[in-house]
Amino acid sequence: MKRATVLLACLAAATAVAATRESPPPAGTPHEFRLPAKETLRLDNGLAITFIDYGSVPKVTVLAVIRTGNIDEGEDTWLPDVAVEMLKEGTTTRTAADIARAAAEMGGELGIGVGAEQTTAGISVLSDHAVAAVELVADVLRNPRFPESELPRVLANFERNLAVARSDPQSLADEALARLVYGDHPFGRVLPREGQLAGYGIDDLRVFYERNFGARRTHVYVAGRYDRAGLEVALRKAFGDWSPGPPPSELPARVAETLQLALVDSPGAPQSSVRIAVPVPDPSHALYFPTTLMNSLLGGTFGSRITTNIREDKGYSYSPGSSISARRGGALWILSAEVTSEHTAAAINEVFREIDRLQREEPTTAELDPVKNYRSGLFVITNSSPNGVLSQLAFMNLHGLPEDFLTHWVANIHAVTPPQVSEMARQFIRPERMTVVVAGDLATIGDSVRKLPQLERAAMP
Amino acid sequence: MRDNVAHRWSGLILVVAIAGCAAQPPNGARDLHVAAPGGINIPIEYYKLENGLKVVLSSDTTAPTVTIGVYYHIGFRIEPRGRTGFAHLFEHLMFQGSGNLGKMEFIRLIEGNGGVVNGSTRFDYTNYYQIVPAHTLESVLWAEADRMKALAITQANLENQQGVVKNEVRDNVINQPYGGFPWLSMPQVANENWYNAHNFYGDLADLDAATLEDARAFFDTYYAPNNAVLVVAGDFDPATARAWVDKYFAAIPARAHPARPDLTEPEQGEEKRDSYTDRLAPRPALALAWQVPARGTPEHAAFGLLDQILLQGEDSVLWQRLVQQRGYSSGVGGGINLLGNQFTYDGPMLWMLYLIHDPGVTPDTIVADIDAEIARIQNAPPTADELERALTKIRAALYDLAGSSTRFGLLDLLASFALFDDDPARINRIESEFRAVDRALISEVARKYLTPVRRTIQVVVPGRPAMGATP
Repeated sequence: MKRATVLLACLAAATAVAATRESPPPAGTPHEFRLPAKETLRLDNGLAITFIDYGSVPKVTVLAVIRTGNIDEGEDTWLPDVAVEMLKEGTTTRTAADIARAAAEMGGELGIGVGAEQTTAGISVLSDHAVAAVELVADVLRNPRFPESELPRVLANFERNLAVARSDPQSLADEALARLVYGDHPFGRVLPREGQLAGYGIDDLRVFYERNFGARRTHVYVAGRYDRAGLEVALRKAFGDWSPGPPPSELPARVAETLQLALVDSPGAPQSSVRIAVPVPDPSHALYFPTTLMNSLLGGTFGSRITTNIREDKGYSYSPGSSISARRGGALWILSAEVTSEHTAAAINEVFREIDRLQREEPTTAELDPVKNYRSGLFVITNSSPNGVLSQLAFMNLHGLPEDFLTHWVANIHAVTPPQVSEMARQFIRPERMTVVVAGDLATIGDSVRKLPQLERAAMP
Repeated sequence: MRDNVAHRWSGLILVVAIAGCAAQPPNGARDLHVAAPGGINIPIEYYKLENGLKVVLSSDTTAPTVTIGVYYHIGFRIEPRGRTGFAHLFEHLMFQGSGNLGKMEFIRLIEGNGGVVNGSTRFDYTNYYQIVPAHTLESVLWAEADRMKALAITQANLENQQGVVKNEVRDNVINQPYGGFPWLSMPQVANENWYNAHNFYGDLADLDAATLEDARAFFDTYYAPNNAVLVVAGDFDPATARAWVDKYFAAIPARAHPARPDLTEPEQGEEKRDSYTDRLAPRPALALAWQVPARGTPEHAAFGLLDQILLQGEDSVLWQRLVQQRGYSSGVGGGINLLGNQFTYDGPMLWMLYLIHDPGVTPDTIVADIDAEIARIQNAPPTADELERALTKIRAALYDLAGSSTRFGLLDLLASFALFDDDPARINRIESEFRAVDRALISEVARKYLTPVRRTIQVVVPGRPAMGATP
């Protein structure tokens, strides 16, 4: 068991206040924060189990993270989503209603989800039911019945959800962005074509399941309060004889690196959905930490420059913000903002101005230090819950990050210097490599966006 | 990494879904102080300052963070007539400057100390809350006291936030399929009393008409210490915290505030039906609503169990029938108080359920299925197993709330029980209140409240043709 102690070097916030006004009282001494204990073991069939011993209430989360997802769907968009949804429709010994009732009797609900590179199945229950929870999760993962009778209903649900996504301007902007950035890779197809879902039959789901599920791709996390010895026995019994199955697939995404612009018409929309994406280092890269800090200062926090500018100064947008989407080999910095239609070009111009300013002038330590404090504080908040730690560990495992990723986290953030922040902006947030999408009322927007100096030379695929 | 956006309304989800437990110290010897045989046992210190400010302290050292909330007893339904949306607009103004903090300085103080900050407007309160590293508690108390003392906003900042709030309405309601359905749309039809039935987000014209004078008057009227509760939960020394609360809040003078308006809803004697077209919706949607029993009565507790049995979770009878058996939708949502839970309001409240369905099914067909399940409970009490499962779900949700590292759910309940019941310790009796309910009472409450003449049915007509199989 490894433990790490991280002392937070939080400074008293240096808020600039006029001399005539009162200043906030200084902060006290930081309290000690320890990352929770964890222990990982691997079964002979390749399945990994991590125990996270944590929490003050008698609850436990059992979550299986499987290394498959939309990355393995080929051209069959949402096939994994349908297959995994069907896992809940019954096992060889339980109906869907049995599963729901059993979960509720433990104080939980079976949750499943398909992501780009990871699929999850898990439940959070009262600690008394930890063993039963393990058995339920294993049953659903290992013994699916794929009842043909339920497929039309499940497909109709996906069709309905797809129709809603296609009428949502924000989701259309996201779809166009993914298509332009990731092209032919599965990450580039986020919504199925019309009629595509109806073509998925039970055999397609079975084949997907057989090809992509198994012990080697699965990592089971247990977090909370539980009887460690008893639960290990239960886990070995439930998963120990699962066939190894395939190793994780490798299909690195390639991302667009030339300037392109797409305008999606949403007639009558009072707002435009603006997306700006550009490739950045992924978490396995040494420059990941300084890049995330650059993002926090530029657009990743409420007090960030972009939010201060286009929300608190101009009032163009309610909740603009930027983030880093950490796909393996295809990490992106993404700015998302819903802006008033008539201010679309003006808002994009302000974003470019803020990027340019950061590239040209390094931030002061008075601006950067509070951002470092924010990130360090957030680290403590995130890692103060079993599920928070669990998702961090799953993230580390996906990206193959070393053990010290978490233990050095706060030190790595505090090591970043102001010149480095500007350097990250210069090196990565480069307008000539951007993909820009605007979904909105094109009659109002006209050619205002296309005429922006930074976008004049953009290809319009 | 956007982890926090100030002022975002939190949407439609009712019950805490994910466990969030606090850190265990390295020696593992800590008592499970929140886990008692009878359920949760939250430590609570409750007192009032001379100016009337209610204070709730709940100390818990499992994680080195502290969560602070100031809740004012003014929500969107109590806002003045002719000023729809003002309570929420005003929430934004509370971030625009106070005596010693200029615009953005409150947010920079919290974020720069490693914390997250937000505010929200609900039926009967407006809240402001932070989660920060434990050693910065004093700064936050100072800052919250500063803005309780005095508002300092400019015309330019007011206009800026009018723009931001109008964009928030566009984001969450106007430019989104099913925006505002049914949390915003249903109360306007199901309720009769203007206070319960107006547009809580605000008509854009009303938002534009707001003046600095309105803001000052609103602050003077509602943002007084004697109309608020301060909750501090987390890793702190109670005696020190008490001294800081005295130091920063005790000198703020109490102010007279008007009696709350009469929120009473007349008893409904006839079914209401409503429909509207949603420009972006591709499929029809249906919502049903009924008034629930008065808060604090045994019937109210029984209704909470009825909600668990009928609607909460995939094991619930309506989920099983509407989703699993009939396949009308991928889910059915709803509950008591869609913007909180059955304890976090003070007045009449609706129980709602809603789903998006396909055009081949009529609303009446779905309503008939709902009626059949309600009739079963009306005709015979739920089984002992059904009741036990409902209680188990509640117990698990309470543990999640007690163990959450953000402590936001805890904050909400402590503040609501202090503001509305003058009794924050009630949080430790929730489970026993539910356990005291007799199965027969659940049946009786279903007979009395869930009748056709007491309900409102709202239909969303798709404004965009449904996507068919043709390309």
